[in-house]
Amino acid sequence: MSCINKKSREENLPHMESSNGQANIDSSILKGNGVFSKTIKKGINLHTIKTTKYKTNLIGIFLTFPIIKEEATKNTLIALMLKRGSKLYKTREEITNKLAEMYGASLDSGIEKTGDNHILKFYLESINEKYLPHKEDLFKQSINLLFDVVFNPNIENNGFNEEFLKQEKNSLEQIINSKIDNKTTYALNRCIEKMYEGKPYGVYKYGYVEDLKDIDGYNLYEQYKKILSTCKIDIFVSGENDNIEDIIVQNEKIAKLNEREPNFIKFGQPSNPNNEKYVEEKMDIQQGKIVLGIDVENKEKDLVYSAQMYNAILGGTANSKLFRNVREKASLAYTISSSYMKLKSNIFIRAGIEIDKYEEALKIIKEQMEEMKQGAFSDDDIENAKRAIITNIKNIKEEQDIEISYYYGQELSDVKTSLEEYIQKIEKISRQDIIEVANCVKINTIYFLRN
Amino acid sequence: MQIIENKIIKEKLYIEELENGLKVMFIPKKDTNKKMAIIGTKFGSIDNYFINPKTKKEVIIPDGVAHFLEHKMFEQADGTNSLDTLTSMGVEANAYTTNDHTAYYFEAIDNFEPAFKELLNYVFNPYYTDENVEKEKGIIAQEIKMYDDDAISKVFLNALECMYEKCPVRLDVAGTVESINKINKEILYDCYNTFYNPSNMILSISGNFEPDYIFNLIKNNLKNNEKQEKIQRIYPAEPEQIYSKYKEEKMDVSIPAFVIGIKDKVEKENIVKKELILNILLNYLLDENSDLYKELYDEGLLISEPDLEYEYSDIYSHMMIFAYSKDPKKVYEKLKSKIKELQKKGLDEKTFIRVKNKIYGRLVTSYNSPAQIGRIFMRDYMNNIISFDYLNEWNSINLENANKELQNRFLEDKMVLSIVNPK
Repeated sequence: MSCINKKSREENLPHMESSNGQANIDSSILKGNGVFSKTIKKGINLHTIKTTKYKTNLIGIFLTFPIIKEEATKNTLIALMLKRGSKLYKTREEITNKLAEMYGASLDSGIEKTGDNHILKFYLESINEKYLPHKEDLFKQSINLLFDVVFNPNIENNGFNEEFLKQEKNSLEQIINSKIDNKTTYALNRCIEKMYEGKPYGVYKYGYVEDLKDIDGYNLYEQYKKILSTCKIDIFVSGENDNIEDIIVQNEKIAKLNEREPNFIKFGQPSNPNNEKYVEEKMDIQQGKIVLGIDVENKEKDLVYSAQMYNAILGGTANSKLFRNVREKASLAYTISSSYMKLKSNIFIRAGIEIDKYEEALKIIKEQMEEMKQGAFSDDDIENAKRAIITNIKNIKEEQDIEISYYYGQELSDVKTSLEEYIQKIEKISRQDIIEVANCVKINTIYFLRN
Repeated sequence: MQIIENKIIKEKLYIEELENGLKVMFIPKKDTNKKMAIIGTKFGSIDNYFINPKTKKEVIIPDGVAHFLEHKMFEQADGTNSLDTLTSMGVEANAYTTNDHTAYYFEAIDNFEPAFKELLNYVFNPYYTDENVEKEKGIIAQEIKMYDDDAISKVFLNALECMYEKCPVRLDVAGTVESINKINKEILYDCYNTFYNPSNMILSISGNFEPDYIFNLIKNNLKNNEKQEKIQRIYPAEPEQIYSKYKEEKMDVSIPAFVIGIKDKVEKENIVKKELILNILLNYLLDENSDLYKELYDEGLLISEPDLEYEYSDIYSHMMIFAYSKDPKKVYEKLKSKIKELQKKGLDEKTFIRVKNKIYGRLVTSYNSPAQIGRIFMRDYMNNIISFDYLNEWNSINLENANKELQNRFLEDKMVLSIVNPK
């Protein structure tokens, strides 16, 4: 029953992000289960994934729209306020009590920034009726509850409840302020903010404390209506139920939604043209955090697949060049990794280091990047990277939420490549392709958090 | 080989103790491509004083050896590193150390068999040199410093320091920069030879396999180590009382983080039932449906559901409640009076059933992926529990048991508060 507690030490190794909502691939080719996508209305899509792998059903609703600095705070508040009550379940307690009665179903909401889009995500997970001690129509109850929360908020006098709003503004202020608490994430966010200062991708996804004071129940509801009538809506259902489509299409809240030309961003704005801009900030900490924000620049050619390979060899795995040289050889760091953000064409290298070893660590990191340019990596490195990426592609089908995020990622992109094609494209990447990427990468910003 | 079936969730466990004492568990999982294997040894940060079963001598080791050993298991005599080898097979390999055990695992889609052989190979073939031990000290020192900057680990550790006076659960799993500097290859070999004997270990596998295939694979790839007699561990006597009521520390954070700890008696009987009831009670008191949470949320004292956990081993047993709050002391006071109120008037039956159902849902959900299943079965069996027992016992829990445990376990003089405040 127990899980790993907060005090245990699970090793913090670099790994490839599975799909992270940014893949532009289509795995319908996989045998057995696939996704069946259907446009319910223009701009509103239902995606069903039939599978017997899990003991649970997972329903996701994603609302996608462009991220705008002035609206970011409101959007986060909307996500918080929707969980404060709907027309059917008037208060937070009524919602959570209903969830508990449904054998501890869980309702999660989140706000994300993917490319230049802001996304409100809502998930409801409940156990499959087959595994209940007594028979109940848990799936239908789940749909009704989730749809009521997202599409049918508890509105009085043309606005959200002011008292609840006051509490949620309070919470949001704490959430925004807490961005300093996790130093690793903080350092990454600050690097991104510096690279994209003044651009949509530089917006902090939870918004800004100074914007809270002007928000009231009325203008927040206006924002909700604006989002809901213009955003791209994707509904995902993963699980074992029959008649999913009927249950959803016939839901009265869906019937009420208007058709729309979905307003979302496919290609965002590039980073500011910095050349190794050094940014230093201080905090009272034991360990320094270094983040290198890197642009992968090539106007003519699509480098998506070769850039993934470049990243995997450089710092994407536990046998990458950075891990071997910065950690295993020089003992300079415990955490060292790089990650590739496809939609922004960026690579971020991150390490936690002894503060006075900054120069030494940076030197080794740059040497490794230079070696990539010279082609100083082995055929084994290439094979290992391929295997790591391909395993990731195959992994997508093995976890309910990852599978949903992955199909959603491809919704955000026009390019549809099947999973098999994706694997083939990775297989085909040559040493020369990787060296080409190495010669297109440019350090935009070096961020250092120290004491 | 024994087969244990659970009809409620329709899963099976194949379990066998091999001649060398290794306990093997296999939980088949049809319809999935994912596979996992995990091998754990009952050697954690609390095991720093023991009698070597061969020499019969008492051994005292520096803090952090179990974790240090875990770091050092991957290097091989032929110059290869098993983490590299596994990564290059396209499997995700990792390891972790806790207070009472250490585990090594991988998750795979392809290459399960070679990865599995590599797992057994590196876990059963240590290779420590003066040089590779020295080199690791820099890496682990950075790991320790990373957690030093982490308010969450700090606030938990301080809560344990409050609850326990002598018990080594109060020590950080990784040790300290000073203690790890005392570690050398002789200490590592000594501990390895004691604790990595198969009779002190559990291997657990989950995935879409035939049981015969799995058991043959294990038997064909395992060295025939001699079964060793039980390891005698020496733990300091821990008083029943708490060590101190309160600890506060300041860090560069935005909001106070706190842990409320409740020290409990160590017992060996009816652990499954006790664990279920304590989880129900913790959720009854303070999960997001509770009256108290509503009150605290409305007053802005909590902004998200606290983490509620009960944990125990052979030498410790306690509950911990973790959350962020602008006023942890107020939360603490309100929790104490809520407990008193419920102890006086008893639990509400409807709420009790709702929480009990929620716990049932959690149990079922944990059977979603082979990766989770493998871990859970290994972890529970470290405490001699077959994970299915939680589902089986769930039905037998009633309001009366819960009320009784509320009276017995939630004692004010066993409670501590640990806070990390902003500077």
